[in-house]
Amino acid sequence: MARKQQSDPKLDMTPMIDVVFELIIFFVVTIKQEDLFSQLNVNRPAAPQNSSSAQEDITVNIQIGRRYDGSPHGVILYNSKEVSRADLDSNLKMIARTSKKTPIIVRCAGDSPHKALVDVLDICYKNELYSVSVFSL
Amino acid sequence: MARKPQENPELDMTPMIDVVFELIIFFVVTLTETQKKDETIELEDGQHGEAITPDTLPPMHMQIDIAKSGRISMGNVELSPSDVQNRVSKRKSANGGREFPILIRADFETKHADVRKVMDACTKAGIWRLTFMAVGEDKTNSRKRLGKYVKR
Repeated sequence: MARKQQSDPKLDMTPMIDVVFELIIFFVVTIKQEDLFSQLNVNRPAAPQNSSSAQEDITVNIQIGRRYDGSPHGVILYNSKEVSRADLDSNLKMIARTSKKTPIIVRCAGDSPHKALVDVLDICYKNELYSVSVFSL
Repeated sequence: MARKPQENPELDMTPMIDVVFELIIFFVVTLTETQKKDETIELEDGQHGEAITPDTLPPMHMQIDIAKSGRISMGNVELSPSDVQNRVSKRKSANGGREFPILIRADFETKHADVRKVMDACTKAGIWRLTFMAVGEDKTNSRKRLGKYVKR
């Protein structure tokens, strides 16, 4: 179409600028920063391919239970003794110094909070102990 | 039709631009509103785990959400443990019988018994290696802001 566009010398930019500012405000308000996530891998016991590697001399046993005073942190037992997270960390540090391949078996009680399991796994990962198996009690 | 368009020298573009921007806003809002995960879940901190980035996560993975109440869901669709088992075994056979990563996104207050249901379902479907999701870097500071989190 050979329609001649009439040039408008009084083109009003104000509404467009209004809308653009509205958009900027909208995006600034709605965009939120996302958390960065990490992953903690575990093995389930009785895996057929793991039967050969389960013949290590030392295994580390960690038990996780519920605390009866209603604390959300749960209770961690290392060698059947209650330990704090810092104690567990120093214990695992010593084990990691001997062998990083030491299998770790975490036994979780059904009523223990998931937080305690993630905390234990995180401490294992901190000490570069990656062969962790989780049993459910 | 040979209707001659009436020439309008005062063609106003403003309403059209307004409508187009309105459409952009509409699509942005609706796309972010259809959440693909359970928003109630608060993860525990785990700074030492391997960071999850689009590069480290294979495309063939599965994410299973477990809320505080024990509600199991995938893509915000509630599932029973046997549904999880069916889906996992289907995905495994689609993957040529090979294992694939399963990410378990469980709330920090979830009882282990509920997490176990999912773990057992995955084991029954033939996946022995599971991954728990944790917060590597708490950029939103959500837990502290909610006042629920006291580090021991």
